[in-house]
Amino acid sequence: MSDKDHCTLALFYCQNVPESGEAERQALEKTYGLQIRLFPIPCSGRLEPVHLLKALEEFADAVYVISCPEGACRYFEGNYRAKKRVERTREIIAGIGLERERVGIVIGSKDNPIPLSDLVRDIMAKTSGLGPSPVLKPASG
Amino acid sequence: MITAEQKPIAEIRGMITPYKRVLVLGCASCVAECAAGGREETAMLASTLRMKAKMNGEDVVIEEHTLDRQCVNDFVVLLDDIIEPYDAILSLGCGAGVQAVQAMYQEIPVIPALNTEFIGETKAQGLWVENCLGCGDCMLYYFGGVCPLARCAKQLFNGPCGGSVDGRCEINPEIDCAWQIVIDRLTKFGALDRLEMIYPPKNWSKKQGGGPRKIVREDQQK
Repeated sequence: MSDKDHCTLALFYCQNVPESGEAERQALEKTYGLQIRLFPIPCSGRLEPVHLLKALEEFADAVYVISCPEGACRYFEGNYRAKKRVERTREIIAGIGLERERVGIVIGSKDNPIPLSDLVRDIMAKTSGLGPSPVLKPASG
Repeated sequence: MITAEQKPIAEIRGMITPYKRVLVLGCASCVAECAAGGREETAMLASTLRMKAKMNGEDVVIEEHTLDRQCVNDFVVLLDDIIEPYDAILSLGCGAGVQAVQAMYQEIPVIPALNTEFIGETKAQGLWVENCLGCGDCMLYYFGGVCPLARCAKQLFNGPCGGSVDGRCEINPEIDCAWQIVIDRLTKFGALDRLEMIYPPKNWSKKQGGGPRKIVREDQQK
């Protein structure tokens, strides 16, 4: 059971996201500390709902995925699959009374590529209002 | 393959509530193919149940394991090494698997997490369709590889009903008219004369009415 005073975002992102190399990742971890756990992946299509669920179960108050723009996935369909799997995960957690908004996906823009740091900032802002997950901080008594 | 779908989570929780140490048991065969009870689905369900338990402050241990098959005792017996700590098994096997595991471990309740549905095929990714009723008297040869029992909504044996529209069933327009496919197929094979025979009503005693069926092959036994 977690007694932390901060919320943790688990972020899985495609390695194709602009400015998402190792140096950028380390800089983000230095900036946000324990508030973020970053997981670069070769393609957002590699993710399965079980990865998102395990993150929520073990340490994350929210889990987000960043995928490539439609038509721009280097493996053609990975981003489409990621979108469907995120939705499936949202349905599953809604079924146990956990807020759907704790899982989300951000799809990159082909016309206006946004670097990872900006996406992280926006996602952190979006999820900050959710508060600690009831999974990690269960009802007392 | 046998297909199944997971029961609603509320129903599953209702059944496992009395137990404090639950083994969520997957099956890597048919139910894995239909994305209902394989290794991944087992991990998902176990994680979901654990999260709900944490949210409620419930003192329960939920762990997972997956067998290659739950319907073959040679695989089920592998649970001997791990089963001792648990007071219930939540099985993601089909009905055959649930019962096989229960028969092997009669002291521990084995609870079904899935609703077993039909014998069918993976038609496309994420799409499974019924195509066999297990009638025990296969007549697919006569109908060009199309089963009128499983695929005709009226289960007609002796020709189409005449109600189909654009090759779709008049009862359920979402499905193809099986008899359209039969005729197209037998035409392609040059075997339309098979439809000149009159097929008598199905002998259902080969499927049901005598309790559970069995097959014995002494040449396969020890």
